[in-house]
Amino acid sequence: MNDLANMHYEKGRSLWQDAFSRLKNNRLALLSFAVLLLMVLLALLTPWIAPYSYEEQNLNLGASPPSMAHWLGTDVFGRDQLTRILYGSRISLMVGFIATSVALCIGVLWGTIAGYVGGRLDAFMMRFVDILYALPFTIFIILLTVVFGRSLLLLFLAIGAVEWLTMARIVRGQVLSLKHQEFIEAAVAMGFSRWRIMLRHLAPNVIGPIIIYTTLTIPSVILLESFLSFLGLGIQPPQSSWGSLISYGVETMEEYPWLLIFPALSLSLTLFALNFLGDGLRDALDPRVSKD
Amino acid sequence: MALLSVDQLVTRFHTRDGVITAVDNVSFAVEPGQVLGIVGESGSGKSVACYSILGLIPSPPGRVEQGTALFGGQDLLKMTPQQLRRVRGQEIGLIFQDPMTSLNPHMTIGRQLTEPLRVHAHLSNTEAKQRAIAALEEVGIAHATQRFNSFPHEFSGGMRQRVMIAMALINRPKLLIADEPTTALDVTVQAQILQLIKNLQRDHNLSVIFISHDLGVVSEMADHVVVMQKGQVVEEGQPDAVFFRPQHPYTQQLVAALPNTAKPSVADFNAQDPVFLQVNHLCKEYKIRSGGFFKRLLTRVPAVADITFGLRRGEILGLVGESGSGKSTLGRTIVRLVEPDSGQIMLAGRDISAMSGEELRLTRRDFQIIFQDPYASLNPRLTVFDCLAEPLRVHKLVEKNQVLQRVNELMDEVGLDRRMIRKYPHEFSGGQRQRIAIARALAMRPKLIIADEPVSALDVTIQAQILKLLLHLTHKYQMAMLFISHDLAVVRYLSDRVVVMQNGKIVEEGETEALFASPQHPYTKTLLSAIPHLRRVD
Amino acid sequence: MLRIILQRLFTAIPVLFLVILVTFVLIRLAPGGPFDAERAVPAEVLENLNKRYKLNDPLPVQFFDYLSNLLRGDFGPSFKYPSRTVTEIINAGMPVTLELSVYALLVAVIFGIGAGVIAAMRPNTLQDYVPMSLAMLGICLPSFVLGPLLILFFAIGLEWLPVSGWGESPGDKILPAITLGAGYAAYIARLSRGGMLETLAQDYIRTARAKGLAEWRVVFVHALRGGLGPVVSFAGPAVAGLLSGSFVVETIYQIPGLGRFYLQGAFNRDYTMILGMTILFAFFIIVCNLLADIVQVWLNPRLRSLHGGKTA
Repeated sequence: MNDLANMHYEKGRSLWQDAFSRLKNNRLALLSFAVLLLMVLLALLTPWIAPYSYEEQNLNLGASPPSMAHWLGTDVFGRDQLTRILYGSRISLMVGFIATSVALCIGVLWGTIAGYVGGRLDAFMMRFVDILYALPFTIFIILLTVVFGRSLLLLFLAIGAVEWLTMARIVRGQVLSLKHQEFIEAAVAMGFSRWRIMLRHLAPNVIGPIIIYTTLTIPSVILLESFLSFLGLGIQPPQSSWGSLISYGVETMEEYPWLLIFPALSLSLTLFALNFLGDGLRDALDPRVSKD
Repeated sequence: MALLSVDQLVTRFHTRDGVITAVDNVSFAVEPGQVLGIVGESGSGKSVACYSILGLIPSPPGRVEQGTALFGGQDLLKMTPQQLRRVRGQEIGLIFQDPMTSLNPHMTIGRQLTEPLRVHAHLSNTEAKQRAIAALEEVGIAHATQRFNSFPHEFSGGMRQRVMIAMALINRPKLLIADEPTTALDVTVQAQILQLIKNLQRDHNLSVIFISHDLGVVSEMADHVVVMQKGQVVEEGQPDAVFFRPQHPYTQQLVAALPNTAKPSVADFNAQDPVFLQVNHLCKEYKIRSGGFFKRLLTRVPAVADITFGLRRGEILGLVGESGSGKSTLGRTIVRLVEPDSGQIMLAGRDISAMSGEELRLTRRDFQIIFQDPYASLNPRLTVFDCLAEPLRVHKLVEKNQVLQRVNELMDEVGLDRRMIRKYPHEFSGGQRQRIAIARALAMRPKLIIADEPVSALDVTIQAQILKLLLHLTHKYQMAMLFISHDLAVVRYLSDRVVVMQNGKIVEEGETEALFASPQHPYTKTLLSAIPHLRRVD
Repeated sequence: MLRIILQRLFTAIPVLFLVILVTFVLIRLAPGGPFDAERAVPAEVLENLNKRYKLNDPLPVQFFDYLSNLLRGDFGPSFKYPSRTVTEIINAGMPVTLELSVYALLVAVIFGIGAGVIAAMRPNTLQDYVPMSLAMLGICLPSFVLGPLLILFFAIGLEWLPVSGWGESPGDKILPAITLGAGYAAYIARLSRGGMLETLAQDYIRTARAKGLAEWRVVFVHALRGGLGPVVSFAGPAVAGLLSGSFVVETIYQIPGLGRFYLQGAFNRDYTMILGMTILFAFFIIVCNLLADIVQVWLNPRLRSLHGGKTA
């Protein structure tokens, strides 16, 4: 009996560990992750670390280039750009995470049910997705903002409602391909309950692609929000979103280029980091690599 | 003067995980008009060697590092890519294992056939078309002129392979390299294709390199044999000598692993024993519907058509058939992975075809299934321990503190090292994974096991071990086993009785030796005569 | 094949109808009428206007009225500019927006597929890294960032191209087309690279090489059809994106297209205008999706058979 406890078992190396070590070797992805972490931290701490308030105007100063008092310059009303960009990051990241969460919940639920149940229900659900996918959603969102006014909540919901489609498709694809894998059939043959199969056998194998596409949905969402704000349909002044800041910047880009460059840089940097991280995750988690 | 003379070929793959020497100092030669057989299991390097000569290995990881390959006096390995392309187009033809994926699905076969003629022989479109149609007729495709405009998916597997052969030979090359050309085909279709290759070889004085893991096939086809293991040539010679008087231990192992004998052990059940599994008039049909919204019914395909048979404890029943025979569907229906349309499945008197819900889940302990693909049948996220412990825990078969002990016992039973239980499936080889799958099926001490082609995906030497294991376990636990396979030799080795299926129906059944010695039904006769044997040329 | 086209058409029509219905209802639900934004209008005048535009009729009646007018090609008068009908405004702006979108699509398709195929031919080398890095740039620089940057550089800095306008000075169509198309070119580049890589790993490509065909032939004659599948699937959403993306580009470059009127209509609650344009856009997108579907079937012969390509 004792030797059971003392027996030396050889350690296994799970697929997650494989993926993690692949990710660790991807320096670009790691750098992106660090950058994102920094951004999130700054965004969270903004109310405490911002040098000014975002609506504080200094009309005497007017638009001024970067200086010691205002690191990123000021706009026409003398408002500190650094502060406004920081607050803008809060909006963008918040929209990013919340809208993505909405998309995630709806998409995963929709895709899992369609994939697992299959048959007519699946056909119907996916036809629905196909039809919606082909519509001019941005235009609809514009319509919604016109009808219901511009609220942050509406923005979150609307954007999330657009993005869940891709997530649903991907989840369904994964569930479908897994459903017919023999280890799922083996679990059925061994008399396991449906719940056990879904939680213990299906779910762990679907999480990979979900993580990847969630990471890639966030930049999509942030882009959409900036797009709307740029057109004047998103966040309203005095609140600043990167999109609206860029919009102001464009108007005066010849005389005050810094009003355009800094918000544009912030937005692009965030998008870069998210996309590189997403790509890195995809390379790390791709199941095909670990087949043999 | 040999047509092709390969000398001291070395090919290495430089991957992220290290350098793999796939071809290690390999030499062989093909005479004009001769068939050279290259035999080996997976990983032997037999295919890589031939692709290396033609410059077809993926070049960033792979590299030919040494050797010469003299073809018609010129060294293929020193040619420019352009010259090599000309050789591939006009002098050496190549056919592959899977005809379904080897033909371009987006192009008509006519266009694919005429391509080598237009590009290399510079024929006009009309001339090329004529030649192509003639080629199709030569390989036995009926209505060649109409089928010229068909797409690959409109052909069956055997016909696609014929098209591949026509395409490879269309510029009248001197050498044909056939890489496992019949492995993916049914045994009867295989026999036809082999005959076709033999005829073409004779008619055009073609040299052939025939690569296969199937010793019987190579024995039938080859004039000269080369045996490869782990990238090296271990033996060569006349087929007679190599297969009947093997010198090298590996060759001996290969030949010994061939299940070409009758069942070695004595039947340990009586004809008077009660029948444990009784299948009565089991039926399952698949309805093929059209695509689109309305999904009209196109045809019904009877996968399992009124099947009746019985099976005793301790008895192994071999279920034989080609693809489309319904054997797999039958196996899956019996374990209720597929719902039967009608009929009974009686297990020790209880009809499991009607059970559902909790009752069914509990009864499943008594019947288990082993699948064909050892890669897909294990959850990649679970350790071996979790995998084996799960059925024990779910069905509360042992006390909590006994689980580890039982798992260890299971590992011992299937011949695996106990210390590996914390490892994951992808860290094991195919044969080991199949052992894990068997251990898992065994965990609940089932009385009936359905084995659905359990050794078809394994190398011959590994296959022999798994077959012995299955024999041992059925004897030890007096299990009833339904052994499904398309490989008649394996079925003969393992089974007490055999059932032959065709198009969903049982066409013949009987005691194994009796059936093999004198088959009654014409289909059984065709099936048996199509098996490639190790031929002795006296 | 004709059956497939008819089938797709069958589903497209109800979708268009649904779009019209939903848009119509949404707009009518909006709090505030089209005339509220103006300076306070006297009650009788308001009453007259409502009557004239039939705003007091029950909703279903208004809807059927609208539909019947629509079928005659009449989108109704603009609420904001009563002297002009929506149809007139559309006729003025549509050619511009269409032209812009077509140029942008060409930019996207040519550069996108080109870059993707080139990258896939030699993966993990410079030939792969350079186009894909540029593609990453295209994805992360949205049109409203790229546009101003391009203007700053080429128009203001180098003075090679004009700052704004459409059809007024030579070369003023170049920057807008690039700005709108760049993001899609980037995405298409990645899609086609992925599609091509996957196709090039297929067995039938090995067969093509075994036949001694030159590499360009293997890539363009054999692999391209399979590799472009994902790109064609993206065509529908791409056109949707281009049309809505044109709003931004028209704003930046001050192009007199539909986008500008749409935005104004949105701000002013010009019902007929927004309704009309939304329907128009939806119509274009549905047509493009239909075309993309047809191309998809043409590309993949297996889809042509009625039983959805299931092999025997």
